[in-house]
Amino acid sequence: PADTRDAARVRSAPAPLTDVARLCVCDLLVAQCDVNCCCDPDCSAEDFSLFTTCSVPVVTGDSQLCNQKAAVYSLDVEANPPERIFKLIDQVNPSIFCIHATNYKQALYLKSPEIPTAENFDQLLEKFGGASFRAEPEIWDLDTDAPNPPEANETSRYEFGVPVQTEDSFLRLPSPVVTSWCSDANPAGFLVNQATKCIRSVSVEKCDSIQALSMLFYINSSILAVTDMSLFFQVNITVQSIVVQSLNGMRSLLSSSDVLRLPMVLDDLCINAVLGVNYHITHTDTGEIIEAAAAFVLGAISKEALSIEQSFEISFTQENTQPVPLSGNPGYVVGLPVRAGFQPQGYPSPAAFLFAALALSSNKHSQLTILQSTSTQDCLAAQGARAPVLFSYNMISGCKLRITAAMKCQPLAQTLLDVLKGQSFPEYVASFGNSQAQDVLDWVPITQLHISEQKISQTLQSPCQIPVSLGIEVKWTKYGSLVNPQARIVNVTATITTSTLKQLPSGRERIIPITSSVVFTDISAPAEPSYKAWPTINIKLPFDFFYPFV
Amino acid sequence: NKSFQLSSLPLQILLYVNGIYYIFYFLATLAMIIYKSQVFSYPDDLLAPDVTVLFLMGILEVPRLYLGFKGNLTEAEAPLGLSLGLTVGSVVLSVYLLLWQTYVLWADVLLSAVLLSTYGLESGLKVMAIAAFVS
Repeated sequence: PADTRDAARVRSAPAPLTDVARLCVCDLLVAQCDVNCCCDPDCSAEDFSLFTTCSVPVVTGDSQLCNQKAAVYSLDVEANPPERIFKLIDQVNPSIFCIHATNYKQALYLKSPEIPTAENFDQLLEKFGGASFRAEPEIWDLDTDAPNPPEANETSRYEFGVPVQTEDSFLRLPSPVVTSWCSDANPAGFLVNQATKCIRSVSVEKCDSIQALSMLFYINSSILAVTDMSLFFQVNITVQSIVVQSLNGMRSLLSSSDVLRLPMVLDDLCINAVLGVNYHITHTDTGEIIEAAAAFVLGAISKEALSIEQSFEISFTQENTQPVPLSGNPGYVVGLPVRAGFQPQGYPSPAAFLFAALALSSNKHSQLTILQSTSTQDCLAAQGARAPVLFSYNMISGCKLRITAAMKCQPLAQTLLDVLKGQSFPEYVASFGNSQAQDVLDWVPITQLHISEQKISQTLQSPCQIPVSLGIEVKWTKYGSLVNPQARIVNVTATITTSTLKQLPSGRERIIPITSSVVFTDISAPAEPSYKAWPTINIKLPFDFFYPFV
Repeated sequence: NKSFQLSSLPLQILLYVNGIYYIFYFLATLAMIIYKSQVFSYPDDLLAPDVTVLFLMGILEVPRLYLGFKGNLTEAEAPLGLSLGLTVGSVVLSVYLLLWQTYVLWADVLLSAVLLSTYGLESGLKVMAIAAFVS
């Protein structure tokens, strides 16, 4: 029937052309004469007369055959006009291994590809649809290769900077992007402690429908312990504490933090709106998150307010450790506090410094501090206000001391010493920003000097000396490689300058300035770059090298 | 003394030469099949029959030559007749290798032609020897 024959015809590609006389490789343009193509049937005799050579001189079949027909094209340039000569000759292959005959018809021609139809499409796609396919039939490999399951532990742990994943997306830390408006698309990076503040637009009428003002928005997704989704260890975010801030700024800690407080409209105010979130994430030393807690600051928004400022913070702590803020790793970073500590009483020997680990903890009292000037500038009233000494920031501060006649010298001197040095003046300063308390040699002792301002006069009474200034000089050096020098504190000297207190006549007052200063001096030795010596060429010629001439 | 000796000397010489020539023919054809399978596209389902025919011919040649020698020397017509029968089989296989192999090289044609002419001559001499023995 005609339809099956049509179907059969559609399914196979047209038969290849094997007649040498009609085969033309250089006939590229359809219905046009190709230049210098002597076999082109579209060319007329006038076109041939314009040719210079024949680009295809011989058209043959497979040259391995013993004898075959060949079409030879050439140009007869001597004739006027030049004409094309076409000859059909028998070409003989002289080799003894030429193919005399073949019973395998496909041997000499390229295989016609199978035309895809609706029936064989799936099978063709399976065979040829991949990135590569075999020429041989696939009976050789009997088992299909199953892909090896990926190693579960390899890359599933969190690394520094990797976004902390929750079950549906990332843990969000809203932050300002370009402008100050809050963007919720900022993911929190693992081990990246961040603190951001941004502005969010609010309206009191719709405040219970604004998601970013409700506590649920920040704790409803649970954090994945590891980045691999298949391991379903999830850590729920617990509410650590809730602080309620009133309209005038007063904050009070709520005793019970289990109840979830959602924003609601009350008398023109929107209460329980989130003003700040502080995430504390606890992790193991292998990069798994084991605990997550959030501390909220809830506040009230008044009707006139069109926007509020929210502040967010995230901090990471390793489990079972006390976090010690480093001031540099290893060298001190400019602007970070200088770490200091002291030996506990009763252990004067340096060998017992091991016990000082207890003393060099991370409380603020173990920093080197300097007197902080207050607005009243009265030394005796301003006890207790101290500022940390920041590395490489020279500071000077002071206060004024009003001396009356009734003041006794000795107690005054002791009070001033307390004012200048603070309650617990440290004895050792960390040499590097990350010095551990156990490493005794990484700590520099503070040298204490006393200088008297005036010469001790030869009077019978020992004059009363009161300290009037404390100068801390920190000598530091650049340490390490030339490209990345680290700051290292080498020497710390605290100099107390005392001055004689002259007795005042009763009723008179004197005001003495008391100063304290910190100076950082760079005593780096000039750098010594070292280069490898140039290689020397060590040639020794034999003594008779220039024989005939020397 | 020709009347007392019925064994055919030319047949004997021809059988001897046939034996040596066949060894050469077998090795050469096998080497060419290997060459063809490397140079040309020679699928396995076409390679198998060609190699089978060649080895079958080799297996057939040994009893054929033995029976020919024995029959001629003992002047017995039965082994010689059997050898003639086996020669027919060898001729058929040789014609296959000449005409119906997958690739027939010019060297194949030469070797097979020489073998076939040897077989033809041998058959003629065997028939004459049988006639001499019977009568």
